[in-house]
Amino acid sequence: MLLAHRDVPLDKDPSARFLPWLIAFMVYLAALALAGAIAVSNLTERWDRGLSDQMTVQVPPPRGEENAMLQSERVAAALETLRGERGVRTAEVVDDAEMAALLEPWLGEAGIREDLPLPALIAVEVVPGNPPDSERLEGMLQAAAPGVVVEDHQRTLGRFLAVTQSLQLLALLVVGLVAGAAVLSVVFVTRTGLAVHRQVIELLHLIGARDNYIAGQFQRQALKLGLAGGLIGVGLAGGTILVLGQVFATSESVVVPELALSLRQWLLLVLVPPATALVAMATARWTVLRTLARLS
Amino acid sequence: MVRFEDVSFRYGTSANVLSSLTFHLEPGSFHFMLGASGAGKSSLLQLMYLWQKPTEGRISLFGRDVAELSRDEKALMRRRIGVVFQDFRLLDHLSALDNVALPLRVAGRRSAALDEHVAELLTWVGLGDHIEAKPPTLSGGQQQRIAIARAVIARPSLLLADEPTGNVDDRLALRLLYLFEELNKMGTTVVIATHNEHLIQRFSHPVIRLAGGDTIPAPELRREAERQHFGEA
Repeated sequence: MLLAHRDVPLDKDPSARFLPWLIAFMVYLAALALAGAIAVSNLTERWDRGLSDQMTVQVPPPRGEENAMLQSERVAAALETLRGERGVRTAEVVDDAEMAALLEPWLGEAGIREDLPLPALIAVEVVPGNPPDSERLEGMLQAAAPGVVVEDHQRTLGRFLAVTQSLQLLALLVVGLVAGAAVLSVVFVTRTGLAVHRQVIELLHLIGARDNYIAGQFQRQALKLGLAGGLIGVGLAGGTILVLGQVFATSESVVVPELALSLRQWLLLVLVPPATALVAMATARWTVLRTLARLS
Repeated sequence: MVRFEDVSFRYGTSANVLSSLTFHLEPGSFHFMLGASGAGKSSLLQLMYLWQKPTEGRISLFGRDVAELSRDEKALMRRRIGVVFQDFRLLDHLSALDNVALPLRVAGRRSAALDEHVAELLTWVGLGDHIEAKPPTLSGGQQQRIAIARAVIARPSLLLADEPTGNVDDRLALRLLYLFEELNKMGTTVVIATHNEHLIQRFSHPVIRLAGGDTIPAPELRREAERQHFGEA
């Protein structure tokens, strides 16, 4: 179909040179926006996997000098309360080595000074699907050991999910805007082509060409240019995603998202050029038919 | 075949180019249309090939009122009409072969066998050595012959030619007119607009004379049609 005869010499138009690059740029932006959304989604999933069905209970040290005993009693009271709760599967105190590892990024390798007033941490694994009510549990713990704080990760994660969902919607909005701009570009280029080749189109009409035949000339050109633009854009976006993925992977930070596309996501990316080509083709066809219909 | 009923035509708000024309061309007829430059020959042909709409009156082609045709129906009707334009209207980016084959391609009839037929026709009009040539590389006469070949390639029911022999010598002009006659013998209705009175005297076909100016003497035209109807030359 791409090699069909060209009665309207659209190949020689300036638009045949710039439209693929314009589409490539837009596809590149859209692909990166989608990749960003996927990266945020990956980060959310990673956090969700790590934090789901878990709570952390902080038992802060009491004020005063002779408190070592009191703190251990407070921790024991908190543990007893937790272990007596139906929705709690396990409750274990985080040991000193683990605490040191957790604090190392902030305090360095020198270790934890003994006089540093750190809270005791209790890692709680809840029963999946039947977790205890965190507010009620905190109340019970407060009664057993005043000052205890319950950190419900699901609640924190919920807030984070709302943020990431907003980011994903923003990415989709960017994709929508970019697609809209691409469609408008094709409409503009098609209208320009109709004006530039008015005499050829007149002649084709005079010898019996239907509007469909004229539209066919333009839609083939748009299909070709859209496919070229889509391939360039996706090629560049794929390269950028691979490079950024490597950079992100070497950062080893919990807050830097993982930019690694799954096979399915790569396949979706591969589908972008034909989809772009089809949208360009349909847009050109619609523009030609609509413009010619106004002539009657 | 072609029926004009009280047809007037003008461009925009200017004076009438054609006024109150009423005539009927029978299927299979052959007419020359004579008139000085500006007499309205091209406008009359444009009305016949549906490029202009009459300002007043009614035009019927092939038994259909053209005002009632949809865009698609107009396109299909135009496929039955071969037109030789005064300015040729060739597509410069296509070869002579592709220009002539254009009506076949538009009608979805292009094939290798038809390409041979197109090449034969180009050879017949003396362009066998220029089949792959692009129009800008050819002379005015050669371009005119491509335009004629394009007009007749699809064996139209109605052939309209606007000064088809204007750029060729008398020998070739006669040959082309004989080609039109051959088509006419096969049933094609032919209307040829020309100012070459000397050339058409060799033929016995009726003549439509357009007087020019802003009015067209409709009675005279009717008389010509009547003469044709009663077999007078």
